[in-house]
Amino acid sequence: MKAGQICAVLGAGTMGGGIAQFLATAGCETFLYDIDEEPLVKGLESIRARLLRLEEKKKLSREARESVIARIHPVTDLSSLSHVTCVIEAVVERLEVKRELFAGVEKVVDDQAWLATNTSSLSVTEIATVLHRPERMMGLHFFNPAMIMPLVEVVSGERTDEKVAKQAAEWMSNLGKEAVMVKDTPGFLVNRVARPFHNEAYRIVGDGVAEKSQVDRILREAGFPMGPFELQDLIGIDINYAASVAVYEGNFQDPRFRPHPAQRKLVESGALGRKSGRGHYTYDE
Amino acid sequence: MMNEVLLIGEAPLAEEVHQFFRNKKVKVRTLSEVPPYENGRVVAVMDVTAGPLESKITDLQMAERLVASEVPIFTSTLAYCATRLAANLEHPERLSGFSPLLLQESGVLEISQPLQAEDAPVWEKGVHLWESWGKRVEILGDEPGLVFPRTWALMVNEAAWLLTERGAESRDIDRAMKQGTRHPFGPLEWADRIGIDQVLWILKGLFEELGEDRYRPAPLLRRMVYANRLGRRAGRGFYQYEKMEVGKGHA
Repeated sequence: MKAGQICAVLGAGTMGGGIAQFLATAGCETFLYDIDEEPLVKGLESIRARLLRLEEKKKLSREARESVIARIHPVTDLSSLSHVTCVIEAVVERLEVKRELFAGVEKVVDDQAWLATNTSSLSVTEIATVLHRPERMMGLHFFNPAMIMPLVEVVSGERTDEKVAKQAAEWMSNLGKEAVMVKDTPGFLVNRVARPFHNEAYRIVGDGVAEKSQVDRILREAGFPMGPFELQDLIGIDINYAASVAVYEGNFQDPRFRPHPAQRKLVESGALGRKSGRGHYTYDE
Repeated sequence: MMNEVLLIGEAPLAEEVHQFFRNKKVKVRTLSEVPPYENGRVVAVMDVTAGPLESKITDLQMAERLVASEVPIFTSTLAYCATRLAANLEHPERLSGFSPLLLQESGVLEISQPLQAEDAPVWEKGVHLWESWGKRVEILGDEPGLVFPRTWALMVNEAAWLLTERGAESRDIDRAMKQGTRHPFGPLEWADRIGIDQVLWILKGLFEELGEDRYRPAPLLRRMVYANRLGRRAGRGFYQYEKMEVGKGHA
């Protein structure tokens, strides 16, 4: 569709804030919605702080920073979204919450508006069936941090109109993202194909083939920017574990995706990675 | 006098190993070139074939007869564990499993010790040899595929399943893995570089030795091997290529 999309981003958390910043920087008028003032204020603060850092690093002029901020309109009322042409939802990963939100959104927006979810672990198809017109609903799966990572997975659910998905992919490319078209299977593309990188690392250690530090060293030497264990420490072992479980459950417990009990143990013990001071490795505060 | 290694295997992997040793000023001989017991300069045997088992055993036994009894033997352990291969030798304690993949680009060498070499001081000789050739040696437990080949082959397998299900197109799969998670190559183009046959050997080896469904090779990979779509060298793998000149463009 045209560059002149009027967007709504639902949810002002890490992903929502990142997506809103990306859209506004790319020139789109963007409504940032959250249910309360408080998360909205917090989300906006983070965006402002990030933009200010860019200005300090001379990557953004003051005028540009101000106009990006001016393009983001915080709202706490769905009815303010009546003339948006595109909605990207990035709220908590709970099916019922998302379905309820989309049912509300559909009542407000135009019939032609695109609806997209940034879910990473739920079925796009299942979220979409709450709609009267599920064919204009798709997944737009951004990677964290959304304003920096180039990739977006454009996910077609069972009932998504392929034309709409293609147009959305083109739109994303026009805004500077690398868009790939994928079908709605658990983990979509990246999270699915990367599963063995994480899950098998636990197997290799569990089988006594290698120590964690050896696995990391060998895979770094092979060209991966980080080994699986140091990478999990960075992104959070709990986050990584949740992704593994979602793909496993989504595939009716296909053994190909079975997570390792050693990962659950770490999560249970509170060793979540850098953010908790220890994970696979130990970190100084 | 120049040191020599006795190399068992075929292109493209053997080419790469050949090149590695040329750079180290080590002469490479093949099985047919080494006359029995006139080989004081052979410091190691390198078997880079992944499989099948029968011909691996035949070649290893022949090589063993050609070199002195303490000369280390390295054999690709992508499809079989080192213990299984060592069981066929007269001096099993001198055998090491190793991964011949990425030999030129990686600073580490993955090696595994067969059960028969436990407490055998002669086994260490092989480790020192690789250190003298500039590798950091990672000594690993004895399962097929070691670390990189196992991890890599499983990602290729998942990509092949995804492709089979028409979940995404080849180029998108490769692009997404590079852009979304910063892998150096996409799984499919990487498989084409190293060889679809190698991927399948690793998966079949894990599937057989560990007996778990998680290692079941995607049928697409089997069909590609049947059809000789082995990757770049063959002119076709997941992608189509201009036929390459032999000796150029290794993985």
